[in-house]
Amino acid sequence: MSVPAFVQAIYDSGVAEWMRQSLKAMPFVESAHVLAIATVFGTILIVDLRLLGWAGAHRPFSVVSREMLPKTWVAFAAAVVTGALMFAPNAITYYGNTAFRLKMLALVLAGLNMAVFHLLTARSPNWEDNAHPPAPGRVAAVLSIALWITIIFLGRWIGFTKGYDFSVPEDVQFDFAQ
Amino acid sequence: MFEFARWLGSTPLSIGIQSISWLTPLLQAIHIVMVGIVFVSVLMIVLRIHGRVRTDEPFIHTWRRFAPWLWSALSVMAFTGLILTIGEPVREATALSFWLKMILIVVAVVSVLGLRRAVAGIAGPTIPAGTRHAAKLVLLVWITIVFLGRAIAYDVEVWRSLSLVHHT
Repeated sequence: MSVPAFVQAIYDSGVAEWMRQSLKAMPFVESAHVLAIATVFGTILIVDLRLLGWAGAHRPFSVVSREMLPKTWVAFAAAVVTGALMFAPNAITYYGNTAFRLKMLALVLAGLNMAVFHLLTARSPNWEDNAHPPAPGRVAAVLSIALWITIIFLGRWIGFTKGYDFSVPEDVQFDFAQ
Repeated sequence: MFEFARWLGSTPLSIGIQSISWLTPLLQAIHIVMVGIVFVSVLMIVLRIHGRVRTDEPFIHTWRRFAPWLWSALSVMAFTGLILTIGEPVREATALSFWLKMILIVVAVVSVLGLRRAVAGIAGPTIPAGTRHAAKLVLLVWITIVFLGRAIAYDVEVWRSLSLVHHT
């Protein structure tokens, strides 16, 4: 199945149709998405600031990381589910939206940054008790903060650039851009 | 109040904000980045009260780690929120969610300070169940604020006849 056909299938799905019909669902799904991404960003920021030695540096990195990252993943899963629910009813428009595509790219880059850090940088021994980890760790932290802020910005930009591609029921002010 | 909002919307400052197309999304994006800092700071304070994080240090250390971030980010949010409101005063004044949000922000700030006081008054290492339940409630207030913030854009859909749009 080609990507456009896949996007069309999402658009035609029952969940997408339900989201288009239900006027109350969207604000709740959007709010949950904001809360989820806020939790992802906030928890990752705690880990990144520890990595930079700027906050909470008296605690070992692995302790901070083990404490925060499970919460990050739960919030990330919630962001994916709510994000999918926002994407589905308007899938074709989102797919063609530049801010949306850049956001997906930034998510991939954030994932790669995290993978490189955990698989390579964090494996090197005897640094995690240091208040100031070595340069590769600090670079990963700066990249992570920058990428997640970018993801939030692009997320907000999607709402202001995309419009919508289905007809709105009569008598309803249904403005995704706001 | 609606008259005031209409007047505010016609001032050069408001029109200036409205005329810069990228300003509103920029301020909203900053606002959401700050939600991350504020919400997770409160979450950490509440989870520490529940003994779920940072049990290797006393509560006051957790408070001192996160309170400055909480207040700083909240100040930025007050500023971005103020500019956004001046840019769209009628939309905000006619949204029931906006007014509920403003009331709950006061409740949230007072209650988080109350938690700090309550925990400071505890002698032993165990935090009583009452304080732990109160902490959960405080977290719920902050979550509700996030929902109300998003609901401003959907006031009629969420509140139907209760929306202040019908009372202008």
